[in-house]
Amino acid sequence: MAGKSGRSIANKPEKVWQKRILSWEGMLVVLFIAVNIFCINISSMYQFSNVLREMPKYLTEVFILLPMAYILIMGDIDISVGSIVCLSATMACTAYNKGIPFIAVVLICLMTGMACGFVNGIILTRFTELPPMIVTLATQIIFRGIAEITLGSGGSVSLTKADGFRMISGKVGKVPYIVFLVIILAAGFTVVLCATTFGRRLYAIGSNKLAAYYAGIQVERTRLIVYSVTGFMSGLAALLLVSVLYGANTTTGNGFEMDAIAMAVFGGISTNGGKGKLQGGIIAAFIIICLRIGLGLINLNPQIILIILGILLVLSVLLPNIFRGVKLQSKSIEMK
Amino acid sequence: MKKNKSILKTITTSREISLLVVLVLLCAAITIKSPSFMTYKSIIDMLRNNTVTMIMAVGMLGILLIGGIDISVASSLALSGMTAGMLMKYGVVKNVFLIFLIAMAIGGLCGLINGLVISRGKVLPIIATMGAMYVYRGLAYLVANNEWVSAEDLGTFSSFALDKFWGINYVIWVLIGVYALFFVMMKWTRLGRKVYAVGSNKEAASISGINISNVELFVYVMMGILAGICGTIAVSVYSSAQPNMLYGKEMDIIAACVIGGVSMSGGRGSVAGALLGGLVLAAIAKALPLVGIEAIAQNTVKGVIILVVIILNVITQRTIDRNNLKEREI
Amino acid sequence: MKKKMVGMLLCAAMVVSLIAGCGNSGADKEGSKAEDVKKADDSGKKVYALVTKSAGNPFMDIIAGGFTDVIEAAGGEVIVRHPEAATADAQVSVIQSLISQGVDSITVSANDQNALQAALEEAMDAGIKISGLDSATNADSRQVFVNQASDAEIGKTLMEAIYDIAGGEGQWAILSATSQATNQNAWIAAMQEAMKDDKYSKLELTEIAYGDDEPQKSTDQTQALLSKYPDLKVICSPTTVGINAAAKVLQDDHSSVKLTGLGLPSELAEYMGDGDDKSCPYMYLWNPIELGQLGGYTAMALVNGEITGAEGESFKAGDLGDYEIIKAKDGGTEVVLGPLFKFDSSNINEWKDVF
Repeated sequence: MAGKSGRSIANKPEKVWQKRILSWEGMLVVLFIAVNIFCINISSMYQFSNVLREMPKYLTEVFILLPMAYILIMGDIDISVGSIVCLSATMACTAYNKGIPFIAVVLICLMTGMACGFVNGIILTRFTELPPMIVTLATQIIFRGIAEITLGSGGSVSLTKADGFRMISGKVGKVPYIVFLVIILAAGFTVVLCATTFGRRLYAIGSNKLAAYYAGIQVERTRLIVYSVTGFMSGLAALLLVSVLYGANTTTGNGFEMDAIAMAVFGGISTNGGKGKLQGGIIAAFIIICLRIGLGLINLNPQIILIILGILLVLSVLLPNIFRGVKLQSKSIEMK
Repeated sequence: MKKNKSILKTITTSREISLLVVLVLLCAAITIKSPSFMTYKSIIDMLRNNTVTMIMAVGMLGILLIGGIDISVASSLALSGMTAGMLMKYGVVKNVFLIFLIAMAIGGLCGLINGLVISRGKVLPIIATMGAMYVYRGLAYLVANNEWVSAEDLGTFSSFALDKFWGINYVIWVLIGVYALFFVMMKWTRLGRKVYAVGSNKEAASISGINISNVELFVYVMMGILAGICGTIAVSVYSSAQPNMLYGKEMDIIAACVIGGVSMSGGRGSVAGALLGGLVLAAIAKALPLVGIEAIAQNTVKGVIILVVIILNVITQRTIDRNNLKEREI
Repeated sequence: MKKKMVGMLLCAAMVVSLIAGCGNSGADKEGSKAEDVKKADDSGKKVYALVTKSAGNPFMDIIAGGFTDVIEAAGGEVIVRHPEAATADAQVSVIQSLISQGVDSITVSANDQNALQAALEEAMDAGIKISGLDSATNADSRQVFVNQASDAEIGKTLMEAIYDIAGGEGQWAILSATSQATNQNAWIAAMQEAMKDDKYSKLELTEIAYGDDEPQKSTDQTQALLSKYPDLKVICSPTTVGINAAAKVLQDDHSSVKLTGLGLPSELAEYMGDGDDKSCPYMYLWNPIELGQLGGYTAMALVNGEITGAEGESFKAGDLGDYEIIKAKDGGTEVVLGPLFKFDSSNINEWKDVF
């Protein structure tokens, strides 16, 4: 059945391949190919090696996208992730500069992230009346504020020696490690979402919290877990961002939350919850990344890139809706 | 005895009054630390400097009431303000009244597009306005074309924020006017009641003959027009227009509403609440540098205060609900 | 079923053509420029890139103008890139994109002195010449930095101005941008260094306030300074947004507090004057056009191999004259544009239309 955002097309069993192509994810694959052809056409520099080299910086946002998709599917939202990235990166750099062994630094970074996510989760599950947007807005200000205090008046910290982090940013042949990591994690998150009880619970909570509660799902515990995972993944993103930037400052991770939400929405995940597939979000992320790299190569004004992304975002939801509207009308005429 | 009880009851049962108590306590605390806070001039300065957030909050109230959200407001404000500024810089339009009309038209158009996409296209408000946020901000940069509008380019327009009428600044008159208008509209007109009806229960409202799409369209256009007014006011108050003005302030505006007890799922909230929420944020912004908190810790303190206020709000609400329940049992 | 499929494909086609349409119409100007660059690459023309701090900033735009003029006059190609946001993260993406394009030189005004290091080292490994401009990157990630004026010079000049305006004694305060801004902090430190001189012993620095380069916050901060310190005589704001907001507050309040600092003449013209009704008697700035030009000449000298960025080398910067590379405070090397330029009521009218 057509759901809240109306992206599902087929409402009765049909041939599998047709369903695949006609689904939103199928359209995204087509769009992904189209975007790549478009980019190759506009710039002769749009080559595989260049794209691979520019990719790691953008891929850090995909780490945020994965848990953000979970949160959106539950009908929640978290706009503090960018600040969590900032705080974790700050902690990691400060700790590493103090001479703490690299393994411990990795742990500190991930744990800082997870602790922040846990704080969000605790507040939201203790005071269920509070809208997640406002709570995470407040913690967004607080987490970045703590990072500011830690950084002191310089406002930025750089790694005095970057050995450990250089290791993370290493490559196998021409492919950076981070690409493999993204593939593994994306596959893991997708499998958990579609093939485990936990994943189905998220959809249940997103569709109807109360019904899920009466069906015996521990709604608040699940939310707490998902928020903590989000924090953990933000910590991971911070770790990789540090390996690209060799440092952290007060603006690190600015705007990550909006980028991640935009990718998820573009990928067909509804912010109302209960709807959408993670595969869509991942393909959408790569469409946006490729488009950004491609348009960057022709030195397009960044504001125009943002305008294009904004229009794409709205159209990706608007067009299927309009199309469905037309279809419904024609159906009702047929019925008469 | 009975009268006393009823006063106590009004205090504990009305969110607005409990928030007012919080505001008074906050102001008292600031005044003890820094006596200059409670002077006429300081308050007028505070109001003038926060008029924009406060006016936008009342527009956001309408949107939150129907269960929507608009995160493109700061961008449409920048677009209309920047356009107004550029028109004055190049001497195309000189009349203050006309400038306001143009900015309101641009803001209204931004709101109309949002409203159409949301009400007719059935796109979720947060998605529609997120896209619009990028687009309008981008357009503001394109309009600015790497220029700022300075005090000298604005000429007499900057005096709009200085001149007084009956001893009160024009800008504050606009603030009062907008609030009075919304207060009346939300309380006593059919339109206002329709907004509440749609927010409380969409289906019921639809069955009782309210055209939901039109109500949605109305609140978004209204927000856009207010953004236009605020764009011009911001240009006038700071005598300068920059394409990145009020960047990221949409969250402050939503926070003002939520602090004021407006529910983000719709149907609950009042004009007085939005006003109080805006005042709390304004007092915090004014007080932080005054009370001598280290510059570096100011953001953290602001975040903590917001968090504490909304959690207090929830606790009050729970107490109210419990009291109501008790009464019913009796 | 067929209808559905056709419909969906139509939708997809619409989206794709829209991207293409937007891309093309928007890219018209830049796109054709990029093609020129490509052609230029084939014919051996050098490509010089300038990475600014943020979009929509007239100061950066003027620098870019000067930069472009001298390089195009010498037959080079220029790419000016603004980052998506005023952050180091966004600048990293821009630099990586420029490495892909194989430019010959990158001149960058850094949003953070350290965070660009990895990207810039990668660029240097690819044989691209790196120079800094306006706001420095750290010493390891550049060949040479084009400094508008030495920090010590800015500190001394501003202290002298404060001394003069305050009449030799009294309270004064600083209104800065963010507490993290590299050059702001360097200048404030230089002012505090200059203050140690006995001459300034009667001046009392009450507070360093931060307005985050936001008009609203700068206004709040200025008003707070006025109410906290009734005996305040001078506010010094070495940032454009800050000085602008402070000037407005002081002038609107008819305050006796005076203002000086660093700011753009076009922004400050309204507040500049000697009378009681004006808040700013005089202020300073370097010439951003010349700064851009010097940046352009430096980039060209690096690419030509005329200089390598080592201490003691010198080169000719067109009409600006000869410049020598000297050791910078951070351990790297720099070229210093020259002394600060003073703007007051006598010359403001002729400069306000220039920048």
